[in-house]
Amino acid sequence: MLAESWRRFRRSRSGVFGLAVVTALVLVALLAPWLTPCDPLQPDYAAVMQPPSRAHPLGTDNFGRDVLARTLYGARLSLRAGVTSVAVALALGLPIGLVSGYYRGFWDEYVIMRVVDALQAFPFLILALAVTAALGQGLNEAMIAIGIGFTPGFIRIVRSAVLEVRTREYVLAARSLGAGDGRILLRHVLPNALGPIIVQTTLSVAAAIIAEAGLSYLGLGAQPPEPSWGSDLRAAQGFLTLAPWMAIWPGLAIFLSVLGFNMLGDGLRDALDPRLRGD
Amino acid sequence: MFRRKWRGLLAAGLVLALALAGCGGGSAGPTSTGSGAGGQGAQAPGAPEAPRDVTLTVALSADPPKLDPHLSTAAVDRLVMNNIYDKLVDLDEKLNIVPELATEWQVSPDGTVYTFKLRQGVKFHDGTEFNAEVVKFNFDRMLDPSLNSPRRNEISMVKEVRVVDPYTVEIHLETPFTPFLGILTDRAGMMVSPAAVQQYGDLSEHPIGTGPFKFASRTKGDSVTLVRNEDYWQEGLPKASKVVYKVITDGNVAVANLQSGTVDILETRTIPDKLLPQLRQNPNLTVSVTPGLGHQGIWFNVTQPPFDNKWLRKAVEAAIDRETLVQVVFGEAATPAASPFPPADPYHDGYLPKRDLSKAREYLARGGKPDGFSFTLSIGTGTEPEQVATVVQSMLAEVGIQANIQKLEFGKLLDDLDNLRHQAGLLGWSGRAEADQNIYDFHYTNGSLNQSGYSNPELDRLLDQSRVVTGEERKEVFRQVMAILREDVPYVYLYYPANKLAYRSDVVGLVNYPDGMIRLENVTKR
Repeated sequence: MLAESWRRFRRSRSGVFGLAVVTALVLVALLAPWLTPCDPLQPDYAAVMQPPSRAHPLGTDNFGRDVLARTLYGARLSLRAGVTSVAVALALGLPIGLVSGYYRGFWDEYVIMRVVDALQAFPFLILALAVTAALGQGLNEAMIAIGIGFTPGFIRIVRSAVLEVRTREYVLAARSLGAGDGRILLRHVLPNALGPIIVQTTLSVAAAIIAEAGLSYLGLGAQPPEPSWGSDLRAAQGFLTLAPWMAIWPGLAIFLSVLGFNMLGDGLRDALDPRLRGD
Repeated sequence: MFRRKWRGLLAAGLVLALALAGCGGGSAGPTSTGSGAGGQGAQAPGAPEAPRDVTLTVALSADPPKLDPHLSTAAVDRLVMNNIYDKLVDLDEKLNIVPELATEWQVSPDGTVYTFKLRQGVKFHDGTEFNAEVVKFNFDRMLDPSLNSPRRNEISMVKEVRVVDPYTVEIHLETPFTPFLGILTDRAGMMVSPAAVQQYGDLSEHPIGTGPFKFASRTKGDSVTLVRNEDYWQEGLPKASKVVYKVITDGNVAVANLQSGTVDILETRTIPDKLLPQLRQNPNLTVSVTPGLGHQGIWFNVTQPPFDNKWLRKAVEAAIDRETLVQVVFGEAATPAASPFPPADPYHDGYLPKRDLSKAREYLARGGKPDGFSFTLSIGTGTEPEQVATVVQSMLAEVGIQANIQKLEFGKLLDDLDNLRHQAGLLGWSGRAEADQNIYDFHYTNGSLNQSGYSNPELDRLLDQSRVVTGEERKEVFRQVMAILREDVPYVYLYYPANKLAYRSDVVGLVNYPDGMIRLENVTKR
């Protein structure tokens, strides 16, 4: 089955492109110190807002810090933010969705799903803002906020996948053979519900990167002097006419990484869950 | 608008005119018609001295919260109110105190009685007359504990206001208070209409003064519109017929509006510093940058670790390079500071310590933290404080001091600093012409703006003395005050923000006053 999925994935051009972009992103994040000699935090007050040059291929920002270094190191922060916040959402959403969808009943119908409805009624950013207001500012707080913001979506996806699988013949067969609930959930329901969950996870990483950039742009995410694409973009806004290179590169980086994760998600969806295809 | 309404009302009949007099004060109707002739002449096309129909548009960085000078606390209020209200005395471009509603004044030899001669024939926008009773009413209102006026503290030394005759008033002080006249050049000197106070209570939405322009309307969060006061006491003023204040919170947007001609005048808070060179290059614009009266810096909370340790405060100060900070963040829009007295102030002494890392390390060692320490630096939101904090953070890092920047909503920042819940906080002061208002309450024990918790009886004694003595003697007292503050460093003075002004080149008569207020009575367009 895995081989079949891989074959389908390879046929999806956007999926392959997305995978390439995401791989590149991971490599940049891992290898940042070897890709540039500059320290992203080191200001040079004698070289403020310099246009691209040999020493600073992408120019310098308003504190004389190297834009290339900040953009490369920014990949670490964005990736960490994207993956961690989705992990938070998954850690909360997966068990709740599994249990809720499998057992159904009053708790599922009238408590969990209604709370999910209520949470989803908030625009995501408002929810995340409320959470950062309660937890304080900072990257860790922002990641938790984004994770909590994404949890209702995960609960829904997991639950609907479970609902679909729980009445299948192999589940009934397992139950008639005397398997316990735990075994059925982990051995039979979860593996067969995994497709949409993986797709949702990948797409959520893209959304989480945007969300982190958004929160940092508002000054609620990464704190100075951490190199974050979102907060660098915000700083660049004030100098748009003077030093456009300060805005272009972090903006482009956000664009590319989000595009990459989205395309990877599309490819995975084609591969794992062909029925969800739009076309 | 008002006057047309009045004329219509008068034409409609005596009954209505009487009704108007009932709410507006005795002479409202007749006076308004009396000078109405001039007004008509002004409006008739082709009349000899017809003032042109000029609208001045000024950008504001925020919606003015309270246009009642006795209740206002925001700087944007002052910008608008300066053109609605006249003050007893005003400042000129060189910070001299000049007559406005008071034509002359005398101070008794013991310094406790100020006698003001008042200008005659001045009318409020509601038609009521300005006189000595009005002055008494205004002071009584500011001092009334039930109003809880922010002005009350500024003029708390006023014991009594006596009406000598309709145009002479004596203000008696508890003790001699040198800064008194200077304080009357700001909100405490603005005279509001007693009739309007009786009618509305709070003038925030119904500002009525004697100034060159009268309030016409406002749209919350968008604009405030003023129109010419046809009965203004200064002959031929104001020159413009209408003023529109547009609220534009983003500096880049404000600049775009100025460049396109939608806005005529940008004041200091609406001009991003880094755009000044670009604005200068535009042939349609005039840019003026002059030293202001305010200062910015870092408060240390001296009641708590780590900054209850004087050596650590001194280490932070020694590690900061003020000149580089100013150059990187502000360019020409600020100058380095080491006192609350800006270059334009007679008490400015020109002292500016250089960055000294070896000294900083020595202070750290003396403070028992040779390898450095970490602290939280609270700042307000906005790009400017963030940039200043980032530069300071990188400078401190070189001697092992780790500043963790904490961004707070402005109200929360003020609240934390007022209640000494901070370790260090980046906060300054917009500045006043009178030196006392830039130093006394900031460093006096339990002073209303003392956000370090610093208390030093010797300093208190000197500050009290500075309020009594004058001339060279006062200069010497301030020298001693600064020597103590520079030794103990409850506050690091970082820079003096400049007053920036940018306007369309067809605007004439605009002067960049050191107090940053835009006075519009002489301003018009070519």
